[in-house]
Amino acid sequence: MNPALSKSPYPRGEAPDWRARLYRFYNSQAFVAFLFLLVPVLLLTALKIWPVFYNLYLSFTRYELFEPPRFVGLKNYTYVFNNSVTRQSIINTLLFTIEAVPIGTALALTIAKLLDQSIRGRVFLRTLYYLPVVSSVVVSAMIWRWIYSPQHGLLNYFLGLVGIPPQNWLNDPNLALISLVIVTIWGSIGSNMVIFLAGLQDIPRDVIEAARVDGANPLQNFLFITVPLMRPVILFVVVTFTISIFRNFGLIFMLTQGGPFNRTNTMVWEVYQNVFGYLRLGRGAAISVVMLLIVLLLTLISFRVLRERQGP
Amino acid sequence: MATNSAARSGHPGSFRPWEARLPLLLTYVFLVIGAVLMLMPFAWMVSTSVKPDHEIFGDSIRWLPSQLDLQNYSDAFKQTNMPRLYLNTTVVTAVSVASQVLLGSMAGYAFARLHFRGKTLIFFALLTTMMVPFEVLIIPVFLLIKFFPLAGGNNLLGQGGTGLINTLGGIMFPGFVSVFGVFLFRQFYLSFPKEIEEAAIVDGCSRIGVYWRILIPNSKPVMGTMALFAFLWSWNDFLWPLVVVKEDSLKTIQLGLSVFDQEQGTAWAELMAASVMAVLPVIILYIFLQRFLVSGGLTSGLKG
Repeated sequence: MNPALSKSPYPRGEAPDWRARLYRFYNSQAFVAFLFLLVPVLLLTALKIWPVFYNLYLSFTRYELFEPPRFVGLKNYTYVFNNSVTRQSIINTLLFTIEAVPIGTALALTIAKLLDQSIRGRVFLRTLYYLPVVSSVVVSAMIWRWIYSPQHGLLNYFLGLVGIPPQNWLNDPNLALISLVIVTIWGSIGSNMVIFLAGLQDIPRDVIEAARVDGANPLQNFLFITVPLMRPVILFVVVTFTISIFRNFGLIFMLTQGGPFNRTNTMVWEVYQNVFGYLRLGRGAAISVVMLLIVLLLTLISFRVLRERQGP
Repeated sequence: MATNSAARSGHPGSFRPWEARLPLLLTYVFLVIGAVLMLMPFAWMVSTSVKPDHEIFGDSIRWLPSQLDLQNYSDAFKQTNMPRLYLNTTVVTAVSVASQVLLGSMAGYAFARLHFRGKTLIFFALLTTMMVPFEVLIIPVFLLIKFFPLAGGNNLLGQGGTGLINTLGGIMFPGFVSVFGVFLFRQFYLSFPKEIEEAAIVDGCSRIGVYWRILIPNSKPVMGTMALFAFLWSWNDFLWPLVVVKEDSLKTIQLGLSVFDQEQGTAWAELMAASVMAVLPVIILYIFLQRFLVSGGLTSGLKG
């Protein structure tokens, strides 16, 4: 089916009417658009749009997979906010964010700033810093479980060198969340650094140079020129980083399974537990909806800030 | 002024007093310590994977093994059924990469070049879905796969069987298309010079011909970026295969590794060897194709 007119045996304009009409239809923007968008749009509707609404519907029902969902009103939501375990999971997610985001963002920005100059080996160093990002969460978790191992782990060995007794990192209620935060920061510095490096490209060099001529040292230049100019990018990283922590399932599955004593039980873990552990799909859906609302709010903030950055 | 500027900006080779070199020196110290900390876990994984047990569980830490012991690799290879895991992961990843590149470029072309009714509406509907993380939709998508019509013994209404649960197709399904890809290709085609396409149309080329003969052969950079991201997502994906597949013969490499972990407990040498095998293809690809990752870097924050 390729009746391109140039290849037609008929001279231009003398093709039979139906062939010309067929070709005109085949070559119309609407038909090509329909052809090209049909599969992607159907798939994305099934995977991204319909699920949002169906999830919302399920959150108002009791559903255990074997009988059809039964409407229960706001019962799942009152459960989510009143049950001590689910409430703890919301608090843990926020604690995780508060502990990981400021330090992780500051480190990524510092490294990006230091790499954003013509020093020898910067491409190599950037490659190394990005490496944990391409590693899978399962492999990363496996390595860190070995490092955190109470008996033969690398971390306890290092602490032993400075006289600190060995710790049971992942099983100590006071250390488990911090242990996960360390792995998260290690695994995310690279991706945040790349966003910062792109943002640093947009800072006019003459501003930095002018401050330097006026006597600002590199540290002052960084704190009082770079950081304020990078404010929108920093906010963007803070938001995307936070969202990635909300989504962080693999680490918890592999390292702590929500324990000890629910100290690392986050919302995404609680969704998984309710659905695939207890077959409480309605409750899981309600927790997902709460998660989605928080994520949407954060994304809208980041979009607004990004638009401000591009200016009127 | 000129020498001062050269010293501060740190061009190597020019002569300057040591005070002027101090910031550069501190920069290097900080960056190298940081890089060592980032790399050490991987180095420790590789080092552990080639050690005999008595060197792993000895009284002090051995940085390097006394000899290269590949026994752990062959043990892990057998115990995890590694060829099967590689095969399953490769099939799932290959389909996902091909499909995301093809569907992404088709949809991207339509949004960048064609005018049709409802374009803005569809475009913004898709844009909105980029804000929704997959983890939040896991329940409906799981139900969609379980009640998939006419699959796994299901009837037309999706009842009676297991649907796409416990199939490779079930693992692949959510990875057929990514909104990220649609936008990546749209941005690329928007910046593609229109004149070339117009010339082809004047010469009698159809719209599909323009897409196939002009845009596709010229989209190699954006295809590389898309393929690399799709590869990473698919190869490294854990939550979705965990939810969809229970049977050992259908597990992907991440899933096989996570189960191996629970079964083996403290067989660290084998666990590290299996981890190396799981991460090696990704690392190799990353080292050769990292320029594609960096070019897609800024948008990577919006993936999903």
